[in-house]
Amino acid sequence: MKRLSRGSALLGGLLGAALLLSACSATGSTPSSDSAGGTLVIDKSFDLKTADPARNFETTGNILGRALYDTLVTFENGDSSTPIPMVATEWSGNDDATEYTFTLRDDITFASGDKLTADDVVFSLERAKNVKGNGSFLMAGLTAEKVDDTTVVITSEAPNTAIPAIMTSPTLGILDSKVVEENGGSDAEGADTADTAEEYLNGASAGSGPYILDSFDITTETVITANPDYWGTKPKYDKVVLRNATAETQSSDVVSGTAQVALDLGSDQIASLEGNSAVVISTTSSPTIFFLFSNADPAVSTISSDPKFREAVTYGLDYDSLLELAGDGAIRAAGVVPDSFLGALKESDAIVRDVDRAKAAVAALGGTPTVSLEYPSDISSNGLDFGPIAERVQANLAEVGITVNLSPSPVATALENYRAGTEEMGLWLWSPDFPDPSDYLVFGPGATVGLRAGWAAGSAPEIEDIAAQAAVTVSDEERAPLYEEFQTKLNEAGVFNPLFQPSASVVASSAVGEVLYSPAFGLDIAAIGQ
Amino acid sequence: MFGRFLLKRIGAAVLLAFGIVVVTFALTALLPGDPATAQLGERAAADPEIVAAYMKANGLDQPLYTQFFIYLGHLVQGDLGTSLQSRNPVLTDLGQFGPASFELAVTATVIAVIVGVGLGIVAALRPDRPLDHTLRVVSLGGVSIPIFWLSLIAVFIFSTQLRIFPSSGRLNPGETPPPHITGLYTLDSLLTANWATFGSAVGHLILPALVLAAPMVGLLLRFTRSSMLEVIGNDYVRSANAKGLPPGLVVRRHTLRGALVPVITVLGSAFASLLAGTVLVEQIFAWPGIGSYAYRSASNLDLPAIVGVTLFVALVFIAVNFLVDVLYGLIDPRIRTS
Repeated sequence: MKRLSRGSALLGGLLGAALLLSACSATGSTPSSDSAGGTLVIDKSFDLKTADPARNFETTGNILGRALYDTLVTFENGDSSTPIPMVATEWSGNDDATEYTFTLRDDITFASGDKLTADDVVFSLERAKNVKGNGSFLMAGLTAEKVDDTTVVITSEAPNTAIPAIMTSPTLGILDSKVVEENGGSDAEGADTADTAEEYLNGASAGSGPYILDSFDITTETVITANPDYWGTKPKYDKVVLRNATAETQSSDVVSGTAQVALDLGSDQIASLEGNSAVVISTTSSPTIFFLFSNADPAVSTISSDPKFREAVTYGLDYDSLLELAGDGAIRAAGVVPDSFLGALKESDAIVRDVDRAKAAVAALGGTPTVSLEYPSDISSNGLDFGPIAERVQANLAEVGITVNLSPSPVATALENYRAGTEEMGLWLWSPDFPDPSDYLVFGPGATVGLRAGWAAGSAPEIEDIAAQAAVTVSDEERAPLYEEFQTKLNEAGVFNPLFQPSASVVASSAVGEVLYSPAFGLDIAAIGQ
Repeated sequence: MFGRFLLKRIGAAVLLAFGIVVVTFALTALLPGDPATAQLGERAAADPEIVAAYMKANGLDQPLYTQFFIYLGHLVQGDLGTSLQSRNPVLTDLGQFGPASFELAVTATVIAVIVGVGLGIVAALRPDRPLDHTLRVVSLGGVSIPIFWLSLIAVFIFSTQLRIFPSSGRLNPGETPPPHITGLYTLDSLLTANWATFGSAVGHLILPALVLAAPMVGLLLRFTRSSMLEVIGNDYVRSANAKGLPPGLVVRRHTLRGALVPVITVLGSAFASLLAGTVLVEQIFAWPGIGSYAYRSASNLDLPAIVGVTLFVALVFIAVNFLVDVLYGLIDPRIRTS
């Protein structure tokens, strides 16, 4: 028998040892999740950019921010309708919703040991406004002022009933002002250039939340550890790894036990996991709204701006078939306001397909209207791609005599046309910036999304009046019918066609138990296992 | 002689890099969409003040030619700019993601060379026999199976079902990376005698490396086989056989040496392509490499990162081609002499 050379033997030995070690690593290091004090691995498709709350406005960042930083008020148990106390124990607004007074707890300390006071609240809110980040609009027109160590007043230039809901945003997390200022932070005007604390905040947390930042990486994983001095209910897991993974990988990770929670599975993947005893699936409707619009500006299109065309589209769409495409757990969007928010329309108020009416409207237009439908081709939301939805819209409208040419493009390109208001028809989505119906007034004429659909101010005075009234009405009893009327009128105008709210599912290993999706911040890590 | 050759190569590389910067800048500028739109959220993009602040902070408020000259000025000082997404210097990002891709590409190449060249030799030594036919079918499969499909199947079988290999990342979740020496986790953990991390790094590396190696195995198998068959018929090989040299020695010293030149050419470009274009595999295995970085940069119109990655890829190709030229000389003395 030929003897192996020394090199071959060494190489073989090394390979054997490596394989042995790797086998141990693959099977023996699954993080514990079945008892308190273990490690929890959460798979998420990252859109992470920063750990600085004031500069963050992305989904993954919100999940992280919620764990690291307390906010004045918050939501819990997957609810997003009624803010509950957090740093603020109570709050009240004046009659015209231009001033809200928050009373703060006096027993909260930051990880540094500093006590949380009104100065920290004012610093954090003003900094969020002045760094001019993605989430700075939340504080637009708002000013935070200290009354005493435990009282903060937030004043608004215009009536703003959404202030309590806005204050739940992780972007407005409360920072330890002393620590942040020592590390280059600023809350003054000009903070967009003067504030240099982001680098520090990407390496350490300066908050009072249930967790502390251990390591931060926007591409692979971010690790947080339990804050031993947290003032509230202690989180169950000592260490949480938020890991970047595609939806395909998440599915296998949660089944194999590599991860304990998966956040981005589509309805097909969820369906394949039904009945699997290794996992617990929690499904609810997402507050994201998929919608279609027909540009109302004649300069962009004489076809889509014709009310008869909009009528044909509104009654020509087969909403049930589109909902079917969205999969189990998705629900019909009766209006632009999601079902879990105040002022949402009931499903029975939704537009019902009427093919005859749609065909009559097409006949009134004359000829065969041909339009272009633009949508982003390279992104998905809640496991849904825009392509199949656009194709279904095309097929629906073909049945009533409208030819739709599909015009997909990468999101960076599609956004350019969308935001410039030059798309003839568009297929997009809207996720709430904060859980209040006032966030949906942007769909009105002259407002942010309305303008993208070529709907200029003055185009629909009745709708604009209702929107203006809704914006300044304080009491929920009076606000709710106003928002319902606003949406009913929007549906009648037909510039926007709300299609559906996709499902939002969280899949967790059975050892962890049910994990609820939060419409406000995606996921409340500290609540897992409680 | 070698010095002149090296100087000419370096000169060509500098010119090529300059050309790449010009073309990448121009092409990115021609794309519809602007970086502020891609980076800012719905509400922020609708606020002119925030857009203006963003453009100013990132130098995007300057005309393109001014941006270009500023970039060139920084480039000659070794500064590739700051990524709009990660907000890190692009050089730092490349330093982080490059070693991850390099580690993956080298492992895949080593696997591919051992398996592909080995099987190619076996096939060439028994041409038109059942084994040869089987290997040719295998190589065709390796070349033609879509890599994303193979990745998903591999994850399903080896991670989800058999649970032999982890499905994503470079280390177990939450595991501290080894001290940064080379950026290659396997090597760094070996050098620091961190055996647990070494095992974890190897475990995470094997599956994506095997998937990446599959098409390369097919390619190398086919090239080695055909190249060997050509050389086997040459007079000097027949003479070696006629002299009664052991068959193994004839293959190693005579046949293989002559047959390896075209194989190395293929290997060089395949390795460079692996290093630069592993987007799908990196995405599926959540491997934080250059491919994933390039994909994110392109989809977010992150100009400094796009130019940085393009330059990096170009330099890799130049370096690999240079290495291939040197290897030619080492393997075939006739080339060295000429």
